[in-house]
Amino acid sequence: MKLSLNSMKNIKSNYLQPTEKPLNKPPTEHIENSTTTLGIQHPSTIKTIPLEQSLDEKTVVAVDVSSIRIGETETGVLCAIRGAIAWREKNRYKYQRIGPFPFHITEQNKKEIYKLFKNHGFETSDHRAPSINYIQARIGNLLERWLQLGISCSAYDTIILWDGSMTAGMADSAVDEMSRLLEIARNRLSTVLAFSKNTTLRFSGHKLTDYAEKAEPPCLLQINGFPLCSGPVLLLGDVYVAKLTPGVCSFRLDIDRKVPRERGIEAVQSLLGSDLLVQSYPETLRLAHIFSTFTATEVIGIQRFIAHQYGLKIVTRPNVRRLLFGPFGKGAEN
Amino acid sequence: MRLYKKEGNTLQILSSPSDNVEKGDYLLVEDTNVNRKMITQIIDVQFASVPGILEELLRDSTTEEQIYGENFDPLGVSSHINHIQDARMLICKIRGAMVNDKLHVNSSWLPCRSKSGITKISFNSLLERVGGNGGLPINVGETKDGSPLNITAHDLDGRLNIITGKKGTGKSHLSKLLVLGLVDYGATVVVLDLNGEYAGLGFSAKGGGNQYSDKVHVLTPGANFRVSLSQMGLSVVLKILIHALGLPGTSTREFKHIWKSLSQQGKFTLHDLGEAIRRCSCNMHVRDALFSRYHSLVNSGFFTDNEESATSFVKLFEKTKKDGGALVINLKDVSSVDRQIVLEYTLGTLVNLLDQWKIKSVFLFAEEAHLYLRETYWEDIVTRMRHFGLFTNFVTNQPDTIKENIYRQADSIFLFNFTNERDLETVSKAARVDAETVKSIAQELPPHHCLLIGKAVKDFPVMAKVRALDIKTMGQTRLFFENRVSA
Repeated sequence: MKLSLNSMKNIKSNYLQPTEKPLNKPPTEHIENSTTTLGIQHPSTIKTIPLEQSLDEKTVVAVDVSSIRIGETETGVLCAIRGAIAWREKNRYKYQRIGPFPFHITEQNKKEIYKLFKNHGFETSDHRAPSINYIQARIGNLLERWLQLGISCSAYDTIILWDGSMTAGMADSAVDEMSRLLEIARNRLSTVLAFSKNTTLRFSGHKLTDYAEKAEPPCLLQINGFPLCSGPVLLLGDVYVAKLTPGVCSFRLDIDRKVPRERGIEAVQSLLGSDLLVQSYPETLRLAHIFSTFTATEVIGIQRFIAHQYGLKIVTRPNVRRLLFGPFGKGAEN
Repeated sequence: MRLYKKEGNTLQILSSPSDNVEKGDYLLVEDTNVNRKMITQIIDVQFASVPGILEELLRDSTTEEQIYGENFDPLGVSSHINHIQDARMLICKIRGAMVNDKLHVNSSWLPCRSKSGITKISFNSLLERVGGNGGLPINVGETKDGSPLNITAHDLDGRLNIITGKKGTGKSHLSKLLVLGLVDYGATVVVLDLNGEYAGLGFSAKGGGNQYSDKVHVLTPGANFRVSLSQMGLSVVLKILIHALGLPGTSTREFKHIWKSLSQQGKFTLHDLGEAIRRCSCNMHVRDALFSRYHSLVNSGFFTDNEESATSFVKLFEKTKKDGGALVINLKDVSSVDRQIVLEYTLGTLVNLLDQWKIKSVFLFAEEAHLYLRETYWEDIVTRMRHFGLFTNFVTNQPDTIKENIYRQADSIFLFNFTNERDLETVSKAARVDAETVKSIAQELPPHHCLLIGKAVKDFPVMAKVRALDIKTMGQTRLFFENRVSA
């Protein structure tokens, strides 16, 4: 919040140019699920693990964060970030939304922001502050990790759901930081399950999730043979494909590698008994996503807030693509 | 408020929830660059089509059902998001434009979208700007903003007006208000009172006399309203016989001979007429036809041979000539045939008196006129009679009983609430306003509120709450359970 206020305080611009993205289209998330392309070592196997719904009902908590580009100023870009925690307890869903927090990212303040990342272990290998355009996603990740930390520290004997994977060692997922999050959760008898909606992992040329098509739900497909690390990238979880309900969908599921395998599978069985699952996806995680995502109305509302609060005039600059190419100009101007 | 779109004479204005504007309000779109102003009226308030609103509502609806939560929004961005969600689109009709402070009806001018200022304007200041407030004001009530709404007696002079709305919305009340307003300025008013509602005009609500006691003359046919044959010319008698009693052509010709003969003898009693028909050497069937009409006249109780007790319109109009007055023809409890006899006499005599310039002009208020006005009179009233000085105001709760051409020629319409689409469709044929305005505003008018349309309001439709009158209320519905307290 302080970072948001600090960044906004330094707006030295007369105008706000709204983002070129048509607002009647749902805004896309700027936080990409951290998946990576790791080669699979041979010989590798796929093992099907049938699951049974556990009667031991547990609290399920999910976290998700969204960020969106709001517009541009003379000196930088404006974005907004919002996090959501959803949990199911005693057959009741509850949520807490944090934000939205607007940020003004400029060449001047990006170093300050980068310093903050470094303090939280978000250091990149080239030791240079990332481009303005990437900082938005980083800030989102920072909030997400902060919320995940809060949950790891406060939840006990709980199923914690993350949106994404447990791949560490990339710009937005420092190994130490993520290991610490998992360790705290583990010590409090909680299990972290990370669901990836999209995965780039492939096995024999096919997408991992394709292998679950013929599997009888509820089940997990255990993929053996993934390397634990590849350069700076490290897998902190065991990789599974989860097909938890009948239907066409299945997801890559990472379970904390340091949790005993049986306890990890028990956690998934507990999830079956503790949460609603639609198309193999936990409802709690779906709600966290829904409550964090920005709608077009909210984007306009945030633009109005910024214009009102910081005295910016909303102007629309001519779209060069549209001017040059007319109906053939594709996409927003960068 | 920002100008969004213009299509034909419809303007769409984007408004925020904090703008205090409602349906019926007037907005002035001012383009200072060209020194022009556009006068528009809000006829509907809709939610603005904001992108993403469906997702927003779907998400919110989930939270209402079984999901509980809260928002940590320390910067207060949510209020701005709610503001966007509640953005409104004002659908406005262009009523005119002002160029250098002069009113123009041309709506083809397009104000600047980005620079135009939009402000709410009260109806009275609008009238002031267009120079509408003349003399002889009649206070109708108050506009939505609480300021008094006056029309002028000039607005009703020489005009054809319609007061319509569903039962119990206050049509007769407004009609009474206009009657007394005209009487205040010395006008002569004739009221065709179907339900005896106007009999209390000369009494205050508490029952005593009021300032109109001497000016309101209630005439009840057969009681204090009787006429002698000698008062009537042949033309009036023939109208009664032909139109009220359906006398065929051959019999009419015979009656003319009888009347001429009586006229030469100077005998104009009912008895003489009966004797003349009896002695008439005409075909038996013709005589029977004449006799049956004669008995209808006698049995109506409307005719008398006593000249002293006969009502003289000339004398009554003499009374009203100086300070104004209202003749209320009480048609309550009068059979439909007798009602038509009375009406044919009244209207026939009025036209004669006006034709002879014995009276200058008369304002006629006709309640549910379709029940007693014959077909040919409708055309007569809107075309010929107003040239004689008979200015009609129709009051009805069945708008489809008034012909479409009457709506087209109506100068002003005082429209009360209608919920029925068909009724609104009928009224919307009025030439002085667009159908959308009628349909959109009239459906939501509360009781005792009316939409004034037409010349009475300088063609700027306005909603008004009709003011109360200190007169004795008549014509109220008799209730069986009136004094019982509901459980």
